[in-house]
Amino acid sequence: MSMKELGVVGRNVGQRDLESHARGQTTYYEDVHYPRMLHLKMHRSAEPHARIVSVDTSAAEASPGVVCVLTHEDLPGKKVWNGLAAVGVGPEDEPILAFDKVRWRGEPIVAVLGESAEAARAGAAKVEVDYDPLPGVFDVEEAISGSLPALTAHWPNNHYIYPDDHGAAQIRFGDVEQGFAEADHIVEDSYQTSPIEQAPMETNGCIAKPGGDGRITVHTNTQAVHFARDNTAAILGIAPGKLRFLGGTVGGGFGGKVDVAVEPISVLAAMRTGRPVKFKYTREEEMQVSSTRSAWRLNIKDGVMDDGRIVARKITSYQDSGAYLRFSSYGSMKHAGHMPGPYTIPNVWVDARVVFTNRPPSSAMRGFGVMAASFAIELQMDKVAKTIGMDPWQLRLLNAYRNGDMRAHRKVNEDAAMVETIQAAAQLAGHELPAEYQAMTSWDRKAS
Amino acid sequence: MEDKLIRLAVNGRDEAVVIQPLATLQDVLRDKLELNAVKSGCGQGGCGSCSVLVDGELQLSCLTLAERVGDAEVTTLEGLNETNAIVPLQQAFIENYAAQCGYCTAGMVMAAKALLDRNPAPSRDEIVEGLSGNLCRCTGFAPIVRAVQQAAQALSDTGEEAS
Amino acid sequence: MPELLRPGSIDEAADLIARHGAAAAVLAGGTSLMRETYPSDGGYLIGVDRLGLDRVVARDGGWSVGAAVSLSVLREAVPIAALQAATREIGGPAVQNMATVGGNLFARAPFGDLAPALLALGAQLVFATADGETTQPIEDFYAGWADGAPPSTGLLTRIELDAPSGDCAYLKCARRRYSTPSVVTVAASVQKDGGTVTDARIALSGAHAQPTRCAAAEQAVIGSSLDEAAIAAAASATEGAVEPRTDAVASDWYRRRMTGVFVGRALAALA
Ligand SMILES: Cc1cc2nc3c(=O)[nH]c(=O)nc-3n(C[C@H](O)[C@H](O)[C@H](O)COP(=O)(O)OP(=O)(O)OC[C@H]3O[C@@H](n4cnc5c(N)ncnc54)[C@H](O)[C@@H]3O)c2cc1C
Ligand code: FES
Ligand code: FES
Repeated sequence: MSMKELGVVGRNVGQRDLESHARGQTTYYEDVHYPRMLHLKMHRSAEPHARIVSVDTSAAEASPGVVCVLTHEDLPGKKVWNGLAAVGVGPEDEPILAFDKVRWRGEPIVAVLGESAEAARAGAAKVEVDYDPLPGVFDVEEAISGSLPALTAHWPNNHYIYPDDHGAAQIRFGDVEQGFAEADHIVEDSYQTSPIEQAPMETNGCIAKPGGDGRITVHTNTQAVHFARDNTAAILGIAPGKLRFLGGTVGGGFGGKVDVAVEPISVLAAMRTGRPVKFKYTREEEMQVSSTRSAWRLNIKDGVMDDGRIVARKITSYQDSGAYLRFSSYGSMKHAGHMPGPYTIPNVWVDARVVFTNRPPSSAMRGFGVMAASFAIELQMDKVAKTIGMDPWQLRLLNAYRNGDMRAHRKVNEDAAMVETIQAAAQLAGHELPAEYQAMTSWDRKAS
Repeated sequence: MEDKLIRLAVNGRDEAVVIQPLATLQDVLRDKLELNAVKSGCGQGGCGSCSVLVDGELQLSCLTLAERVGDAEVTTLEGLNETNAIVPLQQAFIENYAAQCGYCTAGMVMAAKALLDRNPAPSRDEIVEGLSGNLCRCTGFAPIVRAVQQAAQALSDTGEEAS
Repeated sequence: MPELLRPGSIDEAADLIARHGAAAAVLAGGTSLMRETYPSDGGYLIGVDRLGLDRVVARDGGWSVGAAVSLSVLREAVPIAALQAATREIGGPAVQNMATVGGNLFARAPFGDLAPALLALGAQLVFATADGETTQPIEDFYAGWADGAPPSTGLLTRIELDAPSGDCAYLKCARRRYSTPSVVTVAASVQKDGGTVTDARIALSGAHAQPTRCAAAEQAVIGSSLDEAAIAAAASATEGAVEPRTDAVASDWYRRRMTGVFVGRALAALA
């Protein structure tokens, strides 16, 4: 096809909602106004890890303007869930409202419905929970060392077990130990990323509105409207047809609005009270309670030849899932799928673990699992270059994958463009490459 | 404490509204008058999504007690389109792709209007300073700054007002 | 929820503050106070918007700045470059239009960026109490703070500011250019006779629990010609004298280093 026939490529394409944004006419979930709307605020765990001795909601119920409170006892369907249960991922491990134990600071325990947001907030502050604190698990490597308590019975060693009893998403390609034995240099380091909040400008929220026909309409800013509806129905044990989810314009998501964090409890509250219910995260909740990108630790060991060829790469990585699974098993699969980076290495060994700690559950964010992998691998590439005294651009060009190379996942490369990308970047950055490196292409491996 | 009846001058109209004690101007504009362009990204002054003009001056409606507004004239983004015609500033946002999710846009446009009303030919640095209280998480600030530059240029070409 | 009271005179406001004690909070621009969650039961917010404190009066040799003057109005009405620089770096334009000078002097760490400038300029603060008016130098006001919180002083009504006789420099160290909390904020003013510094006022915020002058830095430059050695000595004296805190903005270690760096830069600007 010639460029002429392409309708979109190479042109500016109008963004359909730009004019409505500029006029302030775009409707976000919060922009519907219902009379007699109730507001939901959550009483959240003050402890990162504790047994719940007792929960006293009497003062909250008596607080001015409070209409009702909901605890795990009010849940008609599931008490614990996982968003991917419907596609066979499990086990369902996360309480919708905490009971018996809390496993992260901020975990929801009691929902309080008030005539105003302020009444609900004041009521939620009056819920009294008596805790028996347990030792906290905060470090991914300590978590699986056996010296700390197991967070849940699902994972005795505090890490996820993939199907077929695998403790990690794994790659086994060639023989790394052999590769290390033959290498001229061993380069080893540990890399750590932080949890990162997606921080959309609009916080997580929804409005659930009961209708006369027995259906509940939910205005939500979820990034995954059908997923949110199906999970809400499954959690509450009601037919999906009873729920009418209206999504659409999301005030920024970046992965931070796929957790179905607000809809189920709001629908339950609307069913209970027969009134519209709004649950909107405050900015503090968005920053402290909503899931973040996971923090990752990667331990990388490379075997490198004097001429710069990387002959073996061994990676153990730990994804800090926080207290529950959410989508982390998928994140570590994607993470492992990105290894060993865009380089052809004959011997690769990867163990990518999902680890549970007493931190807020983590979840999706742009480039789920991949960003941490790239971060660590590219720092490691610089370290390798420094160790053997080679130009880091040349090191990357030398090792970059080529078409026809067998990747560690046993797929043959077909669409490599890494060499040309590095060459173009070098030119833009004014970094001079020797002629042999300029002559490299994704179709051959001249320099090696 | 009792609800109160107050009067507000908003977008050229006199409005009588019953408010709860300590209601913010943001609460009243959004929930009572349904002026939905006023957004609520933080409720604590940090994001600028609730920006409005009060007697022509940029203010944050989330930090303003509705009761204290008194006779001042409040302008929200909706107030720029009373005749439905789009104003050059909005046109510049559209042409420069200066919005993605759009959540910050109303606040950005109001901050830009406050700037251009005071300083019709701002430098790039002055635009950056003028928008510094408004956050955008999607678009990146460069297209937004370009939109304001284009709007300033359009205004000086036509001799019109910003909006 | 607290009740909003809007007294119509300074005396009435001072009486209300005295009567309600800790249950009352003065509400000026509200840019700090409105961010706090209201205590759900009782209490009073005492508005200052009807007290006529929103004016700057130019007087012989200086200005009387009403406590409820906004930062934007201050910038236009008082042409002292250091003070103007300070106002531009507090929040964004909307915050500057709303926030008052008085409110900023009560701001808690990491806020309070006007204080170093006013300390360096030797401002006097005037308070209305139930027992009448009191005036104190701004450093005495900050000396009365405990655990990073202001004492109950009554209503701040105005700030008396003399036109500066020497040069004054102001610098804020922060993570971005505008609308950002401070790591440390530094202001310095010096009097010179010939080339020799005869007096100096060097003030910091972010270096202690509340804004302060830094006597060690001042001593290091008085008598010098603000040469490189004297500036370096002042910078290192500052680092030795400060007790910064760690918070989400910066660590105590980083703040300590930055007090030295920024005192050095401020003095270099005056050399
Ligand atoms: C987005 C944002 C960014 C900010 N950035 C900065 C910054 O960069 N630097 C900075 O210094 N601050 C910053 N602030 C903090 C703060 O808003 C300012 O310090 C502001 O000047 C406070 O003034 P106000 O009039 O709004 O005070 P208010 O919120 O009304 O009051 C603040 C305190 O001062 C007391 N008070 C006010 N006036 C008087 C009076 N006349 N007598 C006695 N007590 C009084 C009040 O009781 C209260 O305790 C920021 C705030 C926001 C929302
Ligand atoms: S909602 Fe007002 S500044 Fe964020
Ligand atoms: S366009 Fe989404 S926050 Fe600005």
